[in-house]
Amino acid sequence: MSPTQILEIEDIEKHFGGLAALDGVNAHVESGKLTAIIGPNGAGKTTLFNVITGILPPAAGRVKFLGQDITNKPVHEISKLGLARTLQIKSVFNGMTVRENLWIAAQSRDGVFKPFQRASASSRANQVADQLCEELGLTQFANQEAANLSYGDIALLEIGIALATEPKLLLLDEPICGMGPAETEQTVEKIRNLAKRIDIVIIEHDIEVVFEVSDEVIVMAQGKVLARGTPAEISTNAEVRTAYLGDDDDA
Amino acid sequence: MTPDKINRLGIVAVALFTLLAPWILPVFVDEFWVDIYSEMLIWSLLAASVNLLFGYVGLLSFGQALFFGMGMYGVAIGIAKIGLGFWPAFGFGILLSTTMALITGFLAVRLTWHYFAIITVVFSLIFYFTALSWKPLTGGDDGLSFTMPPIFSFGEETAISLTDPTVQYYFIVLMVGACYALMGVVLKSPLGRAFRTVKENDMRAALIGLNVYMIRLTAFVIAGFVAGVAGALFAFFGRYASATYMFYHVSGEAVVWAIIGGAGTLLGPVVGTTLLITLREELSDVWEHYLIVVGVIVIVVVIFAPKGLGGLWMGMVNRIFDKSANGNQPKEGGE
Amino acid sequence: MELVIALGMNGIVWGLIIALIALGLSIIFGLLDIINIAHGDFFMVGTVLAWFVLDTTGNYWLAFLIVPIIGFAMGVVIEYTVIQPIKNAAALSIVATFGLSIILQEGVRATFGAAPTRLVPPIQSTIQMFGLEYEVYRLFAAAVSIAAILLFFGFLHRTKMGTWMRAVRYDPETATAMGIPARKIYMITFALGFAMAALGGVVAAPITTVDFQAGVDILPFCFMAVIIGGLGNLEGTVAAAVMLAFFEGVMASFADPTIARIGSLCLMSIVLLIRPHGIFAGATR
Repeated sequence: MSPTQILEIEDIEKHFGGLAALDGVNAHVESGKLTAIIGPNGAGKTTLFNVITGILPPAAGRVKFLGQDITNKPVHEISKLGLARTLQIKSVFNGMTVRENLWIAAQSRDGVFKPFQRASASSRANQVADQLCEELGLTQFANQEAANLSYGDIALLEIGIALATEPKLLLLDEPICGMGPAETEQTVEKIRNLAKRIDIVIIEHDIEVVFEVSDEVIVMAQGKVLARGTPAEISTNAEVRTAYLGDDDDA
Repeated sequence: MTPDKINRLGIVAVALFTLLAPWILPVFVDEFWVDIYSEMLIWSLLAASVNLLFGYVGLLSFGQALFFGMGMYGVAIGIAKIGLGFWPAFGFGILLSTTMALITGFLAVRLTWHYFAIITVVFSLIFYFTALSWKPLTGGDDGLSFTMPPIFSFGEETAISLTDPTVQYYFIVLMVGACYALMGVVLKSPLGRAFRTVKENDMRAALIGLNVYMIRLTAFVIAGFVAGVAGALFAFFGRYASATYMFYHVSGEAVVWAIIGGAGTLLGPVVGTTLLITLREELSDVWEHYLIVVGVIVIVVVIFAPKGLGGLWMGMVNRIFDKSANGNQPKEGGE
Repeated sequence: MELVIALGMNGIVWGLIIALIALGLSIIFGLLDIINIAHGDFFMVGTVLAWFVLDTTGNYWLAFLIVPIIGFAMGVVIEYTVIQPIKNAAALSIVATFGLSIILQEGVRATFGAAPTRLVPPIQSTIQMFGLEYEVYRLFAAAVSIAAILLFFGFLHRTKMGTWMRAVRYDPETATAMGIPARKIYMITFALGFAMAALGGVVAAPITTVDFQAGVDILPFCFMAVIIGGLGNLEGTVAAAVMLAFFEGVMASFADPTIARIGSLCLMSIVLLIRPHGIFAGATR
């Protein structure tokens, strides 16, 4: 095991009914690089994220995070080890204010089973929440319910929630899906800046974006890893072109 | 003035009224309303326990009467069968209901949504039927009555006891008030915020590292404790315990009070309980079948004001302050 | 021994009636995602309407025809006024149907009265079987329940409406996109559920009591059948209803019926916790 491998995925299998969603996936994520996972619909990308974060138990195989086996660990314990993720369908606490959203994520690191302490007295979480509001440009909405935000701001807030947990590795599932060109550009810029501080794995459909931001690309198809390499290598890989990029050109 | 201050004023007003009720109520209505009001306070605690689960953690329990019944039987059995004094019996009732909440919650909170509602009913029915058939201990259909032991006794002659109506009223107010204070503190704590995340989005809550199961279980145990205190107080109030109070209709009534009062607000259950019990007391004399009116109110509230009266009130307060604060753009409320 | 056979047979008859009622509960849950607390009261309304038909016309057989139709009509009205408006607040459906339950019970108490009444069965003869005199009406009740259940399954699998109902249950969005009138299907499902419970009431009225609280007793039993059979598993519901009633009937011959009820409830909670899709899940899927 190389010390730079922050995430190792070994022979992961997952079936839905008779269908193999993941059919022996082997992959690793290197620290210090922004890794992208691409592949056609149904390739198993989101399922892989679900297995990594403990949402779905794999039928076989192992997931190691920072050298530690996290297969079959509960979702919240994996989060506590420093693995955060966003969901394809944006997922925040709709009925809570933006600030409360960030606050609780930060407080999760210090523990929430404190029934006799005032929430507002939790200075570290307060500080993290305020700082992230500022960083993400959400300060003006800090006291508004998350449900009232625009789509792009909700996506930003979700990333902010993930960051508030101070992760070592951040999994982003189609972060710019559904955004307009301006929002996309802003978000891509933010992701690029973030990648300087923490390790990021991103699932993305927009090939241009992927090639623009990533250092390493993993191509998945039909529940398997088809190819892996730098964006330059992938864009010239014949197998990938036929399996995936070719389809994309038609569209 | 902010919405927060208004609500705090509301709490102060309710507290003041409650403290002065023995003097205020007889001025306007018959004196027995003081008794009814203390009964309302007790029942409001049962509604509050439903509200704690549904309004803050998003679990609809249709079985809170189980813990109410445990509190009742704990007191009655403690005094009548074991021969405990006032305080030990009180403690026994609360301990019984809290333990029961821990055991049933351990199993029940693995389920959510409709399945949770169903299993809470099933659990309460199991113990309802058990209480009915375990006649030597519970008295079955007839229930179990007891004579009130004194709260404190000084020698042979002087004793403070709930047989004194004033003592009884203030004892109930004190205990009910303590429960609301406890819930208020918990809901403002990090744990209280964690409750809300589980209600809003349990997947996201787990993904930020919160143990959703433990949070639900904690809420369930606190709710069981609160319902148990209510049951124990009601046993003192009526000097008896009966399985009838464990039936799912009692749980259902508590759900109705909580929803009509406004789930997710601390005082909603008090408002809902007070309103519906007043309705019962007033309407039942006028029209024997007043329950039809209650049923209609329930349906109308669910359809037109699913956040209950508390929700209507909060919406109104917020709208007024939104207007005076920015005056220009009314927010589009996301449903 | 004779008592065991008699109670066991009573159990099966009663189980078939429960199956008929529980099927209605199950389709309402399966399609509308509504926990119908008022379902027991739909049954109760059926018994009261049966009594009413007998009282006014003197002919009990008419009730078998008229009462399900009235039930269906009431179902349409209730679906339109109560169920449709709360379609988007599913969590509160339990509360709304609880309100409905209060209205139905109190409405019956106000019109029919609070005192339970017994009806004379339209068939009063007995028949010699398994060494005991058995009431023919009970056999008839079982036959009607079986016929109604078979008719229901036939409707579900052989008619266009039935196919639509299955489609909406399976995937409401796709079904709507395919042009299936989902709203109408919801209404018909709910009304059908009411009609089946009401028919159950007509069948059961002569062998039980007509009482405004009858629904309160029967509701937990229907839920047990639906849960143990598997939510949405209709064949399982029928099997579970008959098995449970037989079990409780036999138990009742040598133990307190309450103990039998506690046993069934414990079984139900175990099923809920371990196999929330019912004991027959996996056999069919």
